[in-house]
Amino acid sequence: MKSLSLKNNLIGYTFIGPFVIGFLIFTLIPAAASLYFSVTDYDLLSTPSFIGFENYQSMFTDDSKFWASLKVTFLYVFIGVPLRLAFALFIAMILNTASKAIGLYRTVYYLPSIIGGSVAVSIMWRNLYGDEGVINIFLNALGLDSVRWFAEPAAALWMLITLSVWQFGSSMLIFLAGLKNIPPELYEASNVDGAGSIIRFFKITLPMLSPIILFNTIMQTIGAFMTFVPAYIISKGEGGPLDGTLLYSLYLFRQAFVYFDMGYASAMAWVMLIIIAILTGILFATSKKWVHYESKGGH
Amino acid sequence: MKAPKKMLLMLMAFALVLVSACGGGNSGNGNIANSTNTPKSGNEVKEDTTDAKPVTLRIAWWGGQPRHDYTMKVIEMYKAKNPNVTIEMEYANYDDYWKKLAPQAAANELPDIIQIDTQNYSQYAGRNQLADLTPFLGKQIDVSDISQNAIDGGKLGDGLYGINLGVNALGFNYDPALLKKAGIDSIPENFTWDDYVEMAGKAKAAGLYFDNGMRAEVFFGYYLRTLGKTLFNADGTGLGYEDDKMFTDFFGMLAKLVIDGAVPSPDVLAQIKGAEDSHLVLNQGIGVWQWSNQYVGLQQVANRPLAIAPMVGPNMEKGLFLKPSMFFSVSENSKVKEEAAKFISFFVNDIEANKLILGDRGVPVSAKVKEALKEVSTEAQIQVYDYVAWAEANSSPMDPADPIGSAEVFKSLTSLAEQMNYNKIKPEEAAKKFRDEATAILKKNK
Amino acid sequence: MILKKLKWPIYHIFVAALALVMVYPVLWLLMSSFKQSNLIFATADSLIPQPWIWENYKIGWIGIAGQSFGNFIMNSLEIVILSTIGAVLSSAFIAFGFARLNFTGKTFWFGIMMVTLMLPHDVVLVPQYILFAKIHWLNSIKPIVIPQYFGIPFFIFLLIQFIRTIPNELDEAATIDGCGKFRLFFRIILPLVVPALATASIFSFYWRWEDLLGPVLYLNRPSLYPVSMGLKMFLDSDTVSNWGAMFAMSIVSLIPVLAIFFAFQKYIVEGISTSGLK
Repeated sequence: MKSLSLKNNLIGYTFIGPFVIGFLIFTLIPAAASLYFSVTDYDLLSTPSFIGFENYQSMFTDDSKFWASLKVTFLYVFIGVPLRLAFALFIAMILNTASKAIGLYRTVYYLPSIIGGSVAVSIMWRNLYGDEGVINIFLNALGLDSVRWFAEPAAALWMLITLSVWQFGSSMLIFLAGLKNIPPELYEASNVDGAGSIIRFFKITLPMLSPIILFNTIMQTIGAFMTFVPAYIISKGEGGPLDGTLLYSLYLFRQAFVYFDMGYASAMAWVMLIIIAILTGILFATSKKWVHYESKGGH
Repeated sequence: MKAPKKMLLMLMAFALVLVSACGGGNSGNGNIANSTNTPKSGNEVKEDTTDAKPVTLRIAWWGGQPRHDYTMKVIEMYKAKNPNVTIEMEYANYDDYWKKLAPQAAANELPDIIQIDTQNYSQYAGRNQLADLTPFLGKQIDVSDISQNAIDGGKLGDGLYGINLGVNALGFNYDPALLKKAGIDSIPENFTWDDYVEMAGKAKAAGLYFDNGMRAEVFFGYYLRTLGKTLFNADGTGLGYEDDKMFTDFFGMLAKLVIDGAVPSPDVLAQIKGAEDSHLVLNQGIGVWQWSNQYVGLQQVANRPLAIAPMVGPNMEKGLFLKPSMFFSVSENSKVKEEAAKFISFFVNDIEANKLILGDRGVPVSAKVKEALKEVSTEAQIQVYDYVAWAEANSSPMDPADPIGSAEVFKSLTSLAEQMNYNKIKPEEAAKKFRDEATAILKKNK
Repeated sequence: MILKKLKWPIYHIFVAALALVMVYPVLWLLMSSFKQSNLIFATADSLIPQPWIWENYKIGWIGIAGQSFGNFIMNSLEIVILSTIGAVLSSAFIAFGFARLNFTGKTFWFGIMMVTLMLPHDVVLVPQYILFAKIHWLNSIKPIVIPQYFGIPFFIFLLIQFIRTIPNELDEAATIDGCGKFRLFFRIILPLVVPALATASIFSFYWRWEDLLGPVLYLNRPSLYPVSMGLKMFLDSDTVSNWGAMFAMSIVSLIPVLAIFFAFQKYIVEGISTSGLK
């Protein structure tokens, strides 16, 4: 019995070995260092000096921008991610046929994701939402008033949200891969049983896709929390107007590289880690209720 | 079968990685030849001896394409005169540059020569990342043609941590034709804030913006100087003015102009991408309040004659100052400080080099260079030289460098200005808020 | 039954309309690259360049300060290909361990992996930089590429979820036939998760292609700069940015990414026609 276990362990660790080693070297040590920074006053240019939990304290009690950025980020995540996933799943289902034109559509929908992270796109996006930009022209054509997207914090945040949703292509790809993995026999069998498409969706597609849905939800949430480049470019690094686009990681960046307060920024990062961990934990815990794995032995 | 193929790929990849990791490639070896690792004692390198030891200099700067191009040529010139020197050039655009510099400092990997602007100057100098250049003055760095004023621009405390590459002065860059269109013949000499508001009103009546606003973090300091005060106190531990009425007067006036429509609102300004987008270029605004070194670029894009007017009075001379546009500093951990100093001296004094630089980094500080450049400069550039020369005679010494924490203070100021311009907060309230926030930030410097 | 007849055209209209909306910004980018730099934003609401010029591509290709854009692309390709091979293969390898094997500490390490996912990079940035400085990896692509060979949590997680959709009976059947774990991985599981591998490859390619942070920090010399940094060099806060060249080169730099997408997407399309139990 014991030797079986040992053999299992050996093989197991051989497989995950690269991750373990990489983690220890490239993640654990730097992370420990950053945890240390978070309890120091460190400006990158001189040696850190220990100040205990002061960074964390002033973050929660003394920093209105911290709360502002949290609020903006939460809005961004909890509106953007569901929208994005819904679009991704919907379009993936529509595109999940073998017709030739679909290949073209698939590329077109994925295109925004490919170019999305670049500076050029963010600049272009700003322009679309300009006072004379295409979005306003479109609104006017529908008989609506132009919106001053750069004047109102809420409106400005929509620029970021729509930019994120526009790039649903990456999630869509993953859903497509998942949809392809559903054995057609299941659908054929249900056809024989006389099931309609709605029932097929809820009884076959969703359950078979649920591990992928969980994956996408978690990844999109985490990614959304860490969004930086669009906010940086669209607000020219300021997070404006009136902190309307001050996403958490933009604020963190400013603390670290503009105000030279690396200690505080490190503390902010650890706080964000805890928030994300809690959210992910919740997602995982509730996943037992609705996620279905074909293989046994889930976590 | 797919599996063996993948194995092969994986093996190939590992092999590639091993090769590049062990062989080091060009980049790895370049790092070892890096100046900061070659042991050189301080006194070895002397001036212009034909059998001088080989030296490697790392120079870093930010800028756009034109700047990169001519700077590389200047470096070639220097290498031609100093064949024993190898120069490794590191350049990027403004944002990336700063993001890279701080970690380099943290890891003691700063380049030998660093370009720095006044915004980040105190941070790096104050934390001993920059070498004190005072010992090099008059020796490796020739300052015989440079005014003391210009040199002092790089002073922090008792030390000199950067050489001024060129000076700037604030002014009103405007289109005289558009000015006339608004019914104003010319900007009066010694014009005051009241005159300014009046002119703005006329502009609005003619359907033009008068200017595109005064950036709070730049011009509030100017205003305070005209009143004999400063934004930061002498040791950077607090604000330099006690009377909040100064704040209220200044920002009240500016906010009113925005709310009344003589000056664009923040969201309109936020959408401007660059000079080609500015209201002046599009014939919608008369002028821009900005630094003199931005004049040439603006004029080029506008492609018509523009003019520079001085700042607003009363007491303009007290307010106006010459600001170093940027410095070349030497990093404290550089092992080749003398050579670095020599290069900087060359950059600032050599006439042929400056014929390539052409004041892109500010009006040259060497009087000889300025004279020589006049022959090869464009009309717009000469306008700038003349203005800065005039400003030199009509200004007072600049304030000490912005203290540590200034970035945060400026952010607070610009935030409040934004709110005032959107009419979301009254200037009186903002004055008090600013004082509270700034004091909290600055008292950490005590 | 009229509904059934209408279904197809409705689908097509909807999909096509949405596709147009999706693609408009890209079209804008493309068209702008043919406009004169100073006119790009002035004529932003019209897609058609007046006049149509090719200069931006020529100028953009010459690159910046002695580095041709082709150079930037080669650098990017080097980084991206090396990274992707490492990332995808190592992640699949590791994912198999988590998804199919049992060993002490499995849950612990899985948890660690998830936590790594959530660590904001801005923070480990500086300590990692200092670490790489100490082992003399600065000014090279090593800090960017080598860590990829130790697994990317995102891909590991993706592959775990995919492997889990493969029924255990398959493993059991193979083991009965005398298959060891390694053969099981290479011969059976790996081929079955090809869609996921393809997806991961696409992502890895694209992420490394777009990556700016790594190159900014670890590549000092412009001769090493990849496309992402090269593009930024066209922008300048002080003088006039060369929008035309930047957009033009952005379009050019899209081509490799698109090519990879096209090449790999058919793997996603094929999928598996059998559940593998046969």
